[in-house]
Formats: sequence, C-alpha cells, structure tokens
Amino acid sequence: MSGAVPAQLADVTVEQATISSRFARQAKLFPWLLFGPTILYLLVLSIFPLIYSLGVSLYDYTLGGDATFVGLQNYRDLLTDSVFWRKTWTTLQITIFAVGIELALGLVCALVLNRRLPGIGVIRLIIYLPMMMSPLVIGYFWKFILDGSFGVLNYLISFLGIPPQQWTIDLTLAKASIVLVDVWQWTPFVILILLAGLQSVPPQIYEAATLDRASIWMQFTRITLPYLTTPILLALLFRTIDTFKIFDIVYVVTAGGPGDLTETLSVFAFYEGFKFSQLGRAAAISWLVVIVINILATVLIKLLARQRSKAVLDEEGAVA
Amino acid sequence: MNAHQTQSGRLSQVLWYLPVLLILAFFTFPLIWIVMTALKPPIDVFAYPPKFVFTPTLDNYRRVLASDYMDSLGHSVIIALVSAAFSVVLGTLTAYGFSRYPLRGKDNLFFWILSLRMLPVIAVIVPYFLLFQRVGLTDTLVAMMLVYAVFNISFTVWLLKGFFDEVPREMEEAAKMDGYGPWGVFTRVALPLVIPGIATAIVFNVVQSINEFLLAFVLTQRKATTAPIALLNFLTPMGLDWGGISAAASMLVTPVIILAIIVRKHLIRGMSFGQLE
Repeated sequence: MSGAVPAQLADVTVEQATISSRFARQAKLFPWLLFGPTILYLLVLSIFPLIYSLGVSLYDYTLGGDATFVGLQNYRDLLTDSVFWRKTWTTLQITIFAVGIELALGLVCALVLNRRLPGIGVIRLIIYLPMMMSPLVIGYFWKFILDGSFGVLNYLISFLGIPPQQWTIDLTLAKASIVLVDVWQWTPFVILILLAGLQSVPPQIYEAATLDRASIWMQFTRITLPYLTTPILLALLFRTIDTFKIFDIVYVVTAGGPGDLTETLSVFAFYEGFKFSQLGRAAAISWLVVIVINILATVLIKLLARQRSKAVLDEEGAVA
Repeated sequence: MNAHQTQSGRLSQVLWYLPVLLILAFFTFPLIWIVMTALKPPIDVFAYPPKFVFTPTLDNYRRVLASDYMDSLGHSVIIALVSAAFSVVLGTLTAYGFSRYPLRGKDNLFFWILSLRMLPVIAVIVPYFLLFQRVGLTDTLVAMMLVYAVFNISFTVWLLKGFFDEVPREMEEAAKMDGYGPWGVFTRVALPLVIPGIATAIVFNVVQSINEFLLAFVLTQRKATTAPIALLNFLTPMGLDWGGISAAASMLVTPVIILAIIVRKHLIRGMSFGQLE
C-alpha cells in the first residue's frame, strides 16, 4: 500500500513531462505561424514598395513616357528650389498652429468636461464623433460652411458685426481655414486622451491638497499637469505626425490654393505625380516627407519613453 | 450654512453646463448643418441668409439613391469588410506572438509594425500605382483590400497585443497541463478572452477603410471607386451639388457614428493605438 503512492506520483510526473516536452516541440514551430504571414505580407506590401519608390525617385520618370536614370538629380533639384522649401514651411506652419491650438483647446475642453454632470457621458461621446469621420467628408462640411457667398459662417459672424469673408480664397484666411478644419476634427482626440489622464488622478490627492489649502492654480500645476504629461506627449506625437501628412482636408477645402499658398508637401507630391505626371519627382518628395516624419517621430517617441520611465520610477518611489 | 453650500454647489453645477454646451455646439454644429442641408429643397440650399426653417424633403436622398454613388458605397463596404477580416486574422496571430513568444529582434519588429502607422500614404502612392498597374490590379476591389490591410494589420497587432497581455498566464499554464498544444491554448483560452478586442479591431479597421481617400483616389478609376471618391462627382453645371453632397455624406457618416457608439468603451484604446486605456 505504502509503495503505491510514490508510483502514482511518478506516473503523473512522467505524464506531465511528456505533455510539456510535446508542448515544447510544437511551441518551436508555432511562432512561425504567428509571425510568418504578417511579416511576409508587410514585407511585400510595405518594404518592397518603399524600396521601389526609392528606385523611382532616382529616375526622370514621366507617367506614360520614358524613364531616364538621373541619380540624385530629383533630390538636388528639390532641395535647391525655393518652391520646395516654401511648401515645407507651409506644412510646418499648418502643423504648428493646428497642433498647438488642438492641445490648448483640448486641455480647456477636457477640464470642463471632466466634471461629473448628468448626461456628461453622452455629451462626451457626441464630441468624440468628428475624429471617427472621413477627413474628406469633413472637408466638404466645412467648405460648404466657409463658402464666401452662401456659407453659414459668414451669416453667423454678421451678428458679431464682422463683415463677410472669403475664407478659402483670401490670402491670409486660407491657411487659417485649413487649421480650423483640422482643429475641429482632431481636438476631440486630444480631449479623449487628456480626459483619460485626468481621470487617472486619484481624487484623494485633491482632497488632501484642499485640506492643505493649496490654491486651485497650485493644484493644477502640481497635481493635474504631472498626470497629464504622458497623455499630452502622446497627443503631440500622433497629431504632429498626422498633421504633417495632411492631404484630404487641404485637397477639398482649398485644393492648395489660392495659388499654391496652402499646398502642403503631400498635396505637392500628389500634384507632381498625378497632375504633372512627374513620378520620379513625386517619389523624391515623398521620400523627403518620410525622412522628416522619421525624425519627428524619433524625437517625440524618445521624449515619451523618457517620460514613461520617469513616471514608473516616481510610482515606485511613492510605493517605497 | 450647509444648505447654503449645497445650493451654491447646485448653482455652480448648473452654470457649468454653459461651457459644456458651448463646446458641444462647436463640435456638433457642422453635423447638424449638413443634415439640415441634406433635407432642404434644392432652392433653399443656396439661400442667403441661410434658412434655418424650411419644409424638409427627401429629394436630395432620392437623387443620391438613384446615382452611381450607391455602387461606390457598396464597393466601400465590401472592401472594408474583407480587408478587416483578413487583417484581423493575421493581426491577431501576430499580436498573440508578441504577447507570448520570444523572437529574436522582437522589439525592432514590433517598432517596425508601429512605424507603419506613421508611414505617410503619399510615400507608397507612386510605387503602388506603378506596381498594381504592372500586375493588372489597378481599379480593382482586391487592390484596395490588399492596400488597406497593410495599415489595418499594423493597427490590429498594436491594439490586440494589449488585450492579450491582460490574459492571465496561469490560465494558459493550466490548459497546457490539461494536454492542450500551443494552438489549443491559443484558440481555447486566449482567443475567447480577447473577443471585445477583436470586435474593436474590426470596427476600427472598417472605419479606417471607409474613410480613406488618397489611396482610393489614385488606385481606382471607375470599377472600384469608393464612396469618398464618388463624393467628388456631385457636380452641376453651376458648381458643386451641395444638396447631393450633404445627403451622400450623411449616408457615409451615419454607419460610422453607429460603429463608434458600439465601441465607445474602447475608443481610447483604438484611437491611441492601444497605448492608453
């Protein structure tokens, strides 16, 4: 009797050992199934096209015409052309203004909407809707609203005593119109991210601060803002990259005009390639865009990573 | 004293609605205005001062329903659904891999897949145009499905990795002890627990594909045009047909709004690429 128990145990262990060795054997092949198809797919449809595009950018490649190898000529032409730099500046201007306003307005709105009120959940959800919609459709909404002769915006501002404006045609207002539309669509995204940050602040901290008679401003700068650093950086990362690539809204609202005043780099590359059939030049512009976006993304992701590791250290410090 | 305090608390509560409603008005006015325009008789669409009171009519919707726009809307739906299904299969497998299995150069691979989110569409427009022309896929639904899958897979991997990370490992260990192989552990234990994540991924993939403009603009001409491209065709000899555009746009936006409401709980995970909860 007494010898039977160890024997049974031994059986179980042997069984477990065969199970885990069989599992280990199969687990060696399993990752191929998990990673293989995706890697293969993305190699074929993202890396290969990018390399192909790099090749095209080295040619004087006319759509439907000849392709002559010209080396770095396309890049040299672009980088020495003031037109390219002006359009780069336009893109940066729109990005800086749009993202700056989105962050500031988003912060204010998030603070307003952070209060517990009846119906606030539904209101927040409605406010989030623009970011889910097609930028092209939103461009159309606003082109109609901004129209100089029958647009409703001119009618609304007439109550403030402001004369009607040619929003999308005026030399100074056209860029502002693009910024306005981007702000309308993407401030909700900033609100969403910042509200999540605000809700991660433990309410006891505010209670303690109130007991310590910390002013509202002190509470905001010492408690609220530190909790918002990571969300703000994340919003900055996504918005900067996306606005730098802006195409749809510009294409619909101003088509890059008046003249080429609102032509961003994406619109520029599109026109070069598919309006003037200069595919080599278009590929070169788009590669320059990729390089700039890489630099922007690397810097912002580094900042974000540093902030995150700092946040983890702070938390560990608090626990200790 | 106490009663006074709660009263002032209630008053500030009510006053707080003022800025809330102001924000709400700013973000909803364009939507309301477009729906109103869609319901206006054609003469009223261009009226100035704009009409806020009018007899609603479905004329604009009737015109849109009878136009080519409906075909394009159909293309959009087919492309979005097939591309989303394909992307979710590949993306789910890879997300599980990133969450559970070691792989040499895993971090770099993961970062590469994220970087596809940053990749400007303009960078792949020229090569896609030339390559699809070469293999005879220009202006086909298949080409659009393949292209959208690139962005959708990358999104799905990022979103679902977070969901898989939340599945307790002990549950998988237990299933292992019961004799399940790696595939069994994956399908019987992990997969059922991330179904909300998969649903979220599908919704976001569908929305992304339906909304996309630039790729469809370059890669389709007639047989595979998507709804956003067809919007460009609402023209009259006098200019844009704003009644038609408004009706068509509202038809494109309504399903997106419904989908957004369905995934409202996971909106932040979707929008932040799984970086926030």
